[in-house]
Amino acid sequence: MFGKRRQKKQDRSQNQSPRQTKTRLTFEQLMEKCGASKDFVSFTKSDKHPFTISYYKSMVNPDLVHKDLIPYLTRYSSLSLKELSREIPVENIEHTSDVQTIMDSLLTGSVIVQSRPGKSDCLLIPAATTEKRQISVPETEFSVVGPKEAFTETLEVNINMVRKRLPIPELHVKEVTVGKLSKTRVVILYIDGIVNMENVNTLKQRISAIEYDHILDSSYILQMISDNQYSPFPQLINTERPDRVAAVLSEGKVAVLVDGSPSALTGPTTLVEFFSAFEDYFLSWHIASVFRMIRLFSVLFSVLSTPLYVAVLTFHYEMIPTDLLGTLIASRSGIPFPPIVEAIILELAIELLREAGARLPSKVGQTIGIVGGICIGTAAVQAGLTSNVLLIIVALAALASFTTPVYQMSNTIRLIRFPFLIFAQFWGLLGVAICSAFVLGHMLRLTSLGRPFLAPLFPLRMTDLKDALFRLPFNRQSLRPLQMRPEDPVRFNSQRGLQKNDIEE
Amino acid sequence: MNLQPKENKLVSPYFAFYLINTMQVGVGVLGFQRYIAKSAGHDAWMAVITGGILIHLLVWMSYRMLKNSGGDLVAVHEDIAGKAIGGALSTLFTVYSGFLALTVLRTYIEVIQVWMFPHINIWGISLILLGVVYYFVSGGFRIVTALGFFSVILGTPLIFLKYFAVKDSHIYNILPLFDHSVTDFFVATKTMTLNYLGFEMLLLYYPFIKHPEKSEKWSQWGVFFTILVYTITAVESFAYYSQGQLKHTIWATLTLWKIVEFPFVERFEYIGISMWLFVVLPNVCIAVWCVTRGFKRVYSIKQKHTLIPVLILIFAGTLFFKDRQEIDLLNSLVSKAGYYIIYFYIPLLFVLHWLVLKVRRKKDA
Repeated sequence: MFGKRRQKKQDRSQNQSPRQTKTRLTFEQLMEKCGASKDFVSFTKSDKHPFTISYYKSMVNPDLVHKDLIPYLTRYSSLSLKELSREIPVENIEHTSDVQTIMDSLLTGSVIVQSRPGKSDCLLIPAATTEKRQISVPETEFSVVGPKEAFTETLEVNINMVRKRLPIPELHVKEVTVGKLSKTRVVILYIDGIVNMENVNTLKQRISAIEYDHILDSSYILQMISDNQYSPFPQLINTERPDRVAAVLSEGKVAVLVDGSPSALTGPTTLVEFFSAFEDYFLSWHIASVFRMIRLFSVLFSVLSTPLYVAVLTFHYEMIPTDLLGTLIASRSGIPFPPIVEAIILELAIELLREAGARLPSKVGQTIGIVGGICIGTAAVQAGLTSNVLLIIVALAALASFTTPVYQMSNTIRLIRFPFLIFAQFWGLLGVAICSAFVLGHMLRLTSLGRPFLAPLFPLRMTDLKDALFRLPFNRQSLRPLQMRPEDPVRFNSQRGLQKNDIEE
Repeated sequence: MNLQPKENKLVSPYFAFYLINTMQVGVGVLGFQRYIAKSAGHDAWMAVITGGILIHLLVWMSYRMLKNSGGDLVAVHEDIAGKAIGGALSTLFTVYSGFLALTVLRTYIEVIQVWMFPHINIWGISLILLGVVYYFVSGGFRIVTALGFFSVILGTPLIFLKYFAVKDSHIYNILPLFDHSVTDFFVATKTMTLNYLGFEMLLLYYPFIKHPEKSEKWSQWGVFFTILVYTITAVESFAYYSQGQLKHTIWATLTLWKIVEFPFVERFEYIGISMWLFVVLPNVCIAVWCVTRGFKRVYSIKQKHTLIPVLILIFAGTLFFKDRQEIDLLNSLVSKAGYYIIYFYIPLLFVLHWLVLKVRRKKDA
């Protein structure tokens, strides 16, 4: 079955290639095609100076053309193209007559210079202009202490921010271009000698296999190269912190940067990594460990609290202790809905608030949060539509889901609450257990770049636990995580790190 | 026929601990006390230990046999009885695995019926549980092993609930020691071995353990841990209940959970039964996996093709056994089969296989 399908695909690609050669442009056709756009200029300065200059006004740095190009062309008007390329003070000048190359470099901001109009033999002078945003403070992964730099939309600046932190020749940068229309430059970063090349090759192969017309952000790639594209769980980490990228690269992971995207992807990754904020490494290890525990607990709370409320109030009210029962009865006595309806209404209301807050400009968004949270909440309880106990639970659960440092993951956590709710309504506590079993099974089957997603819990790797659920001090972190199968697993000499002096030394 | 599975499908040797332990602790532990107390009374907890020691011995035998055959039970059968008869014997064992899965599942559904939802639709709950089983088994042996691992991790803390019963128990209930005849002990030991069933699945998943020779000590530790769990449960139950009470308590462990009381939750058995799903699931999953694996080994049918029919048969089985008497019948039938398999069949195989190899070696020499 699969063989047949693959064969068909091959046939199609074979059919495609001759058509492509047929549509191959001649130089005149290219000029005509480009000339159809208003921002394309092509001119000959004067009869005395025979060179013809063509470029896209919008892609080229005008300063460079005016100061470093036109003066030289007029001064050396009698030289051949080859000699001219030596005189112009720009590096990487290409001399070619290949129409495809000419077209590609025109569109990425090169100026082409011909010796006579219409002749396809020409010089390609890179003169691209890049408008870039200022490097700003990380917003989704803000940290109180530590560096305050976030990636911007310019690939070169992003690579610079990583390389600045790892100034070693072993930091390799490999480039792939994807997207039929967008021709997005995608860059894979890794440290040679630490990384396992298997991971790099998997990633490279998956990225080059992407077939899509436009790739506008790294999150496109995140979804397209995930091991299981039908899973709600993100399988690579999306980060906007260059320091985090530098840290994971030195662990032996691979990072992906995409031109035009202010966030990098790192992998292979594990579930627990989604709950470690990079700030954990800036705080002392006790505090960081406790915070990690709190985050994990808050995830469990966020997913399970409302389903448990529904399960207990619908089926197992015997479980509520007598003292607590009074409070619950008082808060629920006037409510016209069964627990499940009440819970779904409130959960949806919270999602509504979050979505409205996310879509609105930040100042209005805050107002919406306050109006929605306080006014609607109080009003709903006073009107007798929901019980205030549930309101507290739902609000806390929403709060808990926001403690997850990775945005994609916190969305997932809020989403998987709904199947739990439905199972709780059908089979009570047992339903919650069944749904947990499904989620556990799903996470066990997930892999990130072919490495198990639930490690170091399963397969149990004791040495990797030092930086998973909790974070041990730096002198205990002498080995890089085994998860990535690094070529060089040793970070530093653990013997020296742990050496203890005698009392009097 | 690929005897040796691919390397990336194997599990580390120490998982043998979880695989053995999870398979032995199942629905049995919820209510085995009454059955063993029937013959040996308050001394029955010692039968738990003697029964366990026999299991240690049987695991030792299984490992010797498997090491020499270099494969699984199917290979052992072929060594002894040839392809045709050996295949038939393997099929019988596979069918037994299927019945084991059915028994565990049906008994768990019965617990749900009795303790949580008396009017629940059996087909509904059976369907959804088998859905979970399908999801795990179709993930392969590694995923099933992982489930066993999490099952032990999640199930073991429930032992600490015994603390609530300790407060109200009387240690004099289990005294005097050795108050029963040897025959009584023997019968109780025999009854107890039925709870230890499940380790014999090792005969089929053995090739899926990386460096399987190294896993023997983990398997033995797994059995030891099982004995520990059962002994603690038995001693605690005998100290808490009087023998008269125990006669009328079908699910003694569950009843012990009923007295657990926290400031925020009472009637802990609801939580316990729900969490017990994670203890029961690996039992069913491993057994179902063994069925599909057995068929693959004997008849070369793809595992994904047998999985659905097997699950459908088990589904039909859960509907077929309706009330307490029928479920009890199913339980005792499967226990009887298991009893003969582990106490007569495995030692017999062990001896025969040893003889066959010896004769063959002599011929070769």
